[in-house]
Amino acid sequence: MIPSIEWLDDPEIFSQGTVPAHSDHHYYKTAQEVQQGNSFEQSLNGTWQFHFAPTPQVRLTDFFDSQFDPTQMDEIQVPQHIELAGYAQIKYINTLYSWEGKEYRRPVGTESYSPENSSPFATSEMNCVGQYRKQFDLDQSLQGQRIKVRFDGVQTAMYVWVNGHFVGYSEDSFTPAEFDITQWVQAQHNVIAVEVFKYSTASYLEDQDFFRFFGIFRDVTLLAEPAVHLADLSLVPTVSDDFTQGDLAIQMKLTGESAQLRTSTIRVTIADSANNQLLTQTMAAEERTTPEPLHFDEVTLWSNQHPTLYHFQAEIIDATGSVIEVIPYQFGFRKIEIKNNVVILNGQRLIISGVNRHEWNCQTGRVISEQDMRADLKTFDELNINAVRTCHYPDQDLWYDLCDQHGTYVMAENNLETHGSWQKMGAVEPSYNVPGSVPEWRGAVMARAQNNYEMLKNHASILFWSLGNESFAGENIAQMNAYYKTMDPNRLTHYEGVFRDPAYRGRISDVESRMYATPAEIAEYLENNPDKPYLNCEYMHSMGNSVGGMKSYDDLIQKYSSYQGGFIWDFVDQALLVKDEITGQQVMRYGGDFDDRHSDYEFSGDGLLFADRQPKPATQEVKYFYGKY
Amino acid sequence: MENTKHQLQVVYGDGSLGVLSDRVKYLFSYERGGLESLTIDGKEWLYRVPKPLFWRATTDNDRGNHFSEKSAMWLGADLFSACDEIAVAIDGQPIELPIAPVNNQYSNHETADSVAITFTYLTPTVPQTKVEINYQVTADGRLQLTANYHGQAGLPQLPAFGIKLVMPTPAVSFKYQGLSGETYPDRMDGANAGNYQTVGMPVTPYLVPQECGMHMQTDSLTVNRRATLNNADADAQEFSLMINQNGNPFAFSCLPYTAEELENATHHEELPAKRRTVLSILGAVRGVGGIDSWGADVEPQFQLAADQDYSVSVEIGPQV
Repeated sequence: MIPSIEWLDDPEIFSQGTVPAHSDHHYYKTAQEVQQGNSFEQSLNGTWQFHFAPTPQVRLTDFFDSQFDPTQMDEIQVPQHIELAGYAQIKYINTLYSWEGKEYRRPVGTESYSPENSSPFATSEMNCVGQYRKQFDLDQSLQGQRIKVRFDGVQTAMYVWVNGHFVGYSEDSFTPAEFDITQWVQAQHNVIAVEVFKYSTASYLEDQDFFRFFGIFRDVTLLAEPAVHLADLSLVPTVSDDFTQGDLAIQMKLTGESAQLRTSTIRVTIADSANNQLLTQTMAAEERTTPEPLHFDEVTLWSNQHPTLYHFQAEIIDATGSVIEVIPYQFGFRKIEIKNNVVILNGQRLIISGVNRHEWNCQTGRVISEQDMRADLKTFDELNINAVRTCHYPDQDLWYDLCDQHGTYVMAENNLETHGSWQKMGAVEPSYNVPGSVPEWRGAVMARAQNNYEMLKNHASILFWSLGNESFAGENIAQMNAYYKTMDPNRLTHYEGVFRDPAYRGRISDVESRMYATPAEIAEYLENNPDKPYLNCEYMHSMGNSVGGMKSYDDLIQKYSSYQGGFIWDFVDQALLVKDEITGQQVMRYGGDFDDRHSDYEFSGDGLLFADRQPKPATQEVKYFYGKY
Repeated sequence: MENTKHQLQVVYGDGSLGVLSDRVKYLFSYERGGLESLTIDGKEWLYRVPKPLFWRATTDNDRGNHFSEKSAMWLGADLFSACDEIAVAIDGQPIELPIAPVNNQYSNHETADSVAITFTYLTPTVPQTKVEINYQVTADGRLQLTANYHGQAGLPQLPAFGIKLVMPTPAVSFKYQGLSGETYPDRMDGANAGNYQTVGMPVTPYLVPQECGMHMQTDSLTVNRRATLNNADADAQEFSLMINQNGNPFAFSCLPYTAEELENATHHEELPAKRRTVLSILGAVRGVGGIDSWGADVEPQFQLAADQDYSVSVEIGPQV
C-alpha cells in the first residue's frame, strides 16, 4: 500500500489497513493478570520525537524512514494536543468551519463543489501537520506473537509507518484505530512514525462545538495476541416479559491459525455480582463460536438504583490444555422498550435526569484521566444525575465501564457533527449539507456508526444509540439508523437533527428529540397526538449565570407520561487554565483569547461545573429537581 | 453632648442635615443628594451617597436575548439618576427645606423623636420616571430605608430595582438569614432556608464576569468589616452593620464591584483590586433564564415590566 496525501481530500477514503472494529473487551494471558499487569500490552505513551510543519508542503518527507536522523526533531508528550504543546494556535469556534473566512471550500459531492472552487486539504495553508516518531523494543512478553498497535484517539487524519513500511491510514478521531504490524515489527530497534493532519474531509464530520485540537490525544498501545485470540465478543442479555428470568446470547469471533483454532476449546463461566459462579460451559473453538443462549431462571436487573452486573469470563484453552487467553466482561440484564408511546426501562417509565458531557480538563483539554472520570461520576451522585449523553463523539472506553458499574444511563453518540454545512448565522441553509444524501459521504458515516456500535455493544449502561449531533437529515443518516436497528433490536435510536427535515421522521430516531425547546413547545407536541416519546437531548443551557426556570420542565414530567426528561447542556465549562501574561496568575481563558479568529469566544462555558470542576451555584437547583426521581 | 432623653439631636447645617444618636450618626447631604455619612460607634459605613439601583452586569443569557441592548437606558439610570427634590419632616411634620437662610432659626440644641428625609431622583430615561429614597430615623437611632420606583409606560423592562450602598472598605464576611447559595426568582426551588455565613465577598467565577451573588428572600443580613479609611483609626476589631427586612423579605448581593465594573470586564483578572463593598438591596430582581443563551427570554413571570411600581424597605442599624 502506497500512502497518498490525496486521501485527505477524498471522503470515500477514511481508513486503510485498519483492523475491523470490534468489542472493547480486554484480554489477558492469565486470570492473575486480570487483576494486575497485562503482559499482552505495552504502552507507547510518553515522550515521542516530534516535528511540527505549519503546512503540508513543508513537512518532512522521510521522517518515517528507519535511517532518518531524528536529531533535528523536537520532543512531545503522547497523549497531548499539539496546540497545548505550543506548536499550533489554540482555536475555539462553534458552528462555522474552522477555516471560515480564510479558505473557501465545499464538500465533495455537493452541488456547489468543484475541484476548482475548493481549497484542497492536501495543499491548505492552514493544514498543519504533526510528525511523530518513536523507537521501541518489544517487551519480552510480547515477542514472537501477532502484534497490533492501537491508537485510542488521534485527531483528525493520520498515516502510520513501522520500520519504514506504510501500515495504514485512519480518520474518525474518537474511536480506536488498530493496525496489524506483525509482518514489519521485530524484537528490537523498531521505529513507529505517525503523521497527523489537522484537516481532512473528516473535518466536515467533526464540526463539534469545541476547541479545535489535533494530534494524538489518547493512549497508544502495542498489543500481542496469543495463537488463538478472541477478536470480537457479543453479549446480548435479554429479560423475560415478567422481568424475572433472563437469557444471554453469546457470539465470539476468534482469530488464529486454523490448525490451532480447531484444536482449541473455550470455557465460558458466568458469575453473579457477588462472584458466585452460576454456570460454566466448555465448547469447541470456531471462527464464529455461537453457543446456545444461556438461560437464567432468576435474574437481578441492572438499573441506576441497582447497577447489578454479572461476570462473564471466557478462557481459550489450547490443545495441551493450557489457558492461553482470558477475557472477562461485565454485563447486565435490563430491558429498554417503547410501550404506549412511553420509554420504559425494566417495566417502568424512564425519566432522564441527564447531562451532556464533553471530555474536558482545563489543563489538558480532551486528554482526561481516570481520576477526572471518577470525579465526574461522584458529581453525578451529588447532583442526582442519572444519565449522560456522550456529546458528540465516543468517549474513552473506560468511561462506559464506569457507567456500567455506576448505573449511569448512557446515550452513546457517534462521532458526527456537520453543523457548519447547514446552519449559518443561526439560519437553516442546508445547500451543501453533508452527509445528507450525498453518496460520497455514506461510507464514512456508516463506518462511524459501525465503529461506535462494535466497540460499545456490550455495555449495560447504553440505552440509546445516538446517530450524531446537528448534522441535518438525509438518506445517509437514515441508513445509519437502519444499521443500528438491524444490529441491535434491543436498544433505541436517537437523533435530533431530523426535526429539521421531517421528511425522514419515519426512518430516523425512535424518540422525538429536540434541543432547547421551550416548555410550551414541548407541551404543544405532547398535546397533539404525539407518535414518539419526547426527550430533550439538550436543554437548560448552563452558560454563565443560568439554569433559571427549571421548574417548568419538571412540571412536564408530572403532566405527560411521554415526556422522558432530558440532558442538560452541559456538564463542565470548556475553558483553559493558562498563565496570565500580565500578572503571572493562573487564569481561565476561552475562545478569542489566543488571537484566534473567527471565534465564538465564551460560548463553550456552558457547564454545570466551572472548567476546574468546581460546581456552579445553579447545581443546587439541579440537585433538587433531579433528586425528585 | 449626652442625649439623656433618647431623642435625636438634629443639626441644621448649611449643606447638610445632621441626625445624631448615641451610637449612630447620620449626615444627609443636600449637595450630594442623599445620605453622605452613616457612622456607628465612629466607624463610617458609606463611601458615596446611596443611589437607586437599576442595572445588573449582563449575563450570558441577557446578552443572547438582547435584553441589555433593549434595556440599555437603565444602565444610564443606574449611573446618572440625579436628585431633583428633597423633603424633610421632623416628628412627622414636613418642614421647609432647612437651608440658609431658613436654618438661621435653629440652635445647637435641636432634638426630635423622628426625622424623615426623602430624596427624589429623576431617571435619565425617555420618558423619565422617578424614584424616592426615603430615610426615617427613629429616636433609638435606627434607620428605615425605603425606595419606591414609580412605574412608567413606554420604558423597557428593568434588570433590577433597589438601592446601592457602597462602603469604603471591603467586607471580611457577611451572614444572613435567607436562602442557601446564589438564588434568583426563577432559580430558588433548590435552595434551603437557614442562616448562612460567607467569608469575603466571592465573585462567582463565570467565564465572563457577570451578574452574580444574588440572595433572594432574605430576612436579615449582617455585614462585617475590619478596616476603615480613617487615618486616625488604628482599631482592627471587626464591626458590623445589620439590615433587617421591614415588612417583606429583600434580596441582596454583597460584592466588591459595581455592576458597571463587572460589565466592563471580559475576564476576572481584568477586575480591579477589591477595595469597596457594594451592597445591593433589591426589591425586584429579573430571573436569569435558562431555556437557551441566544434568544429565549426569561419566563414572563420573572421579567420586570417598567410600568409597574416596585419598592424595597429595610431597617438598618448596629448589630443587636
